[in-house]
Amino acid sequence: MKNCYEPFPMHIERIVIETTDTTLKSFELTFDREADRKDFFVKYNPGQFCQLSIFGKGEAPIGIASAAWEGDFVRFTVQKLGKFTSAIHAMHVGDPIGMRGPLGNGFPLDKWKGMNILVIGGGCAFSTLYAMTKHILHPSHRADYAEITALYGTRNSGLCLYKPVIEEWHNRNDIVVHQAIDVPEDNWKYHIGFVPAVLEEMAPKPDNTVAVLCGPPVMTKFTLPILTKLAFPPERIYTSLEKRMKCGVGHCGRCNIGHKYVCKDGPVFTLKELQELPNEI
Amino acid sequence: MQAKWISKKELKKLLTAWTKHYLVYAPIDNDHELAFQMVKEPARIVVDGYSNTRYPAKSLFLPQSEVLMKYDGILHSVENTEKEKILFGIRPCDAHAMQLLEHALVDVENPDLYWKQKRESAIVISKACIAPEETCFCTAVGGSPFNTADSDVLLVEMGEDYCVYVLTEKGISLCKELPDAEDTQLQAVKKLTKKVVGRMPVLLPKQELHNALMASFETEFWKDVSQSCLGCGVCTFLCPSCFCFDIVDETVRKERVRNWDTCMFRTYSLEASGHNPRPTKVERTRQRIMHKFAYWVDLIDEIGCTGCGRCVKYCPVNIDIREIAEKALHREFEGMKK
Repeated sequence: MKNCYEPFPMHIERIVIETTDTTLKSFELTFDREADRKDFFVKYNPGQFCQLSIFGKGEAPIGIASAAWEGDFVRFTVQKLGKFTSAIHAMHVGDPIGMRGPLGNGFPLDKWKGMNILVIGGGCAFSTLYAMTKHILHPSHRADYAEITALYGTRNSGLCLYKPVIEEWHNRNDIVVHQAIDVPEDNWKYHIGFVPAVLEEMAPKPDNTVAVLCGPPVMTKFTLPILTKLAFPPERIYTSLEKRMKCGVGHCGRCNIGHKYVCKDGPVFTLKELQELPNEI
Repeated sequence: MQAKWISKKELKKLLTAWTKHYLVYAPIDNDHELAFQMVKEPARIVVDGYSNTRYPAKSLFLPQSEVLMKYDGILHSVENTEKEKILFGIRPCDAHAMQLLEHALVDVENPDLYWKQKRESAIVISKACIAPEETCFCTAVGGSPFNTADSDVLLVEMGEDYCVYVLTEKGISLCKELPDAEDTQLQAVKKLTKKVVGRMPVLLPKQELHNALMASFETEFWKDVSQSCLGCGVCTFLCPSCFCFDIVDETVRKERVRNWDTCMFRTYSLEASGHNPRPTKVERTRQRIMHKFAYWVDLIDEIGCTGCGRCVKYCPVNIDIREIAEKALHREFEGMKK
């Protein structure tokens, strides 16, 4: 039987510096063992995360930023912040690294079939939303959903992730993309302002629409009331949470909100589910 | 269930015989502190005259520190070397806690193999409490000093003898040589049970307590009850049903290790961004109590405390989980809104 705490061996295949301040890098990892690759892709659903593992530095839970159809790799976009993320930022293409996952529930994409999807992301929390949007935009999935609208806000244009792909999205006719930055910049063609304000201005219709929200806590805090004001019901507002985690499988205790574990029962919750839990995010 | 009978003298002989065929773990006196240890000299086993060990029996299945993996370029799980063992003298509250831990650590998709292998290789001989301590309250949380949950055999001290309840196949294999208890002897056990249980606290209304705690969540009640807490964590480390752990790398030994952790520490829930959902002892104390008396009830409709009383007995500032539960039940938090 498989030991749920044992990471499997991976290698770094590609590294992309995402932001002009270089605090965010994407790492594309490939599998050393065929069995692990197969197992991963059988289970993977956008919105899930993995525990990345570097011996001596420990583990960190990071959201998956790639869609399965992109290839036999798994992408993680990591902000340099603590001990583990500083260590991974110092690594190079070809370096070995451990991984456990996919973990958590992910977005209920089957349930959303036939509906409009409003994607709202802020800063580096856009990674799993990016994976989800890429999944939906694939020719074999796109027809399953109605209109796709994305709103992505960053502090400035340099901090925007996945720039070439998002640029390409602007030119597609099967997705409407709104981008926002906090303060004006020369040659900026899109919105200026914080995500909640831009959302209010956009005023998306709630009919047959799910809103999927991932961002820093302060953005989430001010965006949820706007969605409610726009008449989105709490059971159709989804968000993905973060917590300190160790085991990733609901055993080690620390990521609970009430009787739910963010690692196992989440990280994706509806606003309705969160309203029924103690207020301890 | 079979009921057998054995004299104290015969039990000592039986224990010695078992140590020849099994690894036996039992309470051993170490400088006035009782602890479950592997028995090397059967004469050192403390069978009677104590209420409970300081460390709960969980430490044999979820050790305070445990090597999970070794590193040689990649991490390899340590091999399972568990041998069949007898755990002798565990109290019903600690046995009951093992059922809770089993629920927390072993799920279909991701069973904790370290726990599972240790638990499955153990034969549990528990011992009923005929003289519960002042801090004991198993009856308030759904247990009993004579509870048989999660035991293979239950011993009840009866003067110079023990009544031996044989509860499982594993238990039968150990006790098949023993004579059956006589009816008069069993009646005496029943009488004793009634007498001991009669002196214990009454059952807490678990759903009412759950609802009260949920209603108290955002009130000043928690500031009040956590005021004297030092955040030492002894209540959780010595709790038989607390299972939280940390995973850390020991780079010199080249090992990935898990250690007991506690929700009473700040770093337990501190995130890399600096955000902490439980920044002070107020939220941390609330988490400890809510987990036991509300979240476990949500999960399996059972209280997650087994009433062993260690957190009451060993708290350096006398925080009493029973009092907090009582206060919540009496809705003392009403009028303490933030």
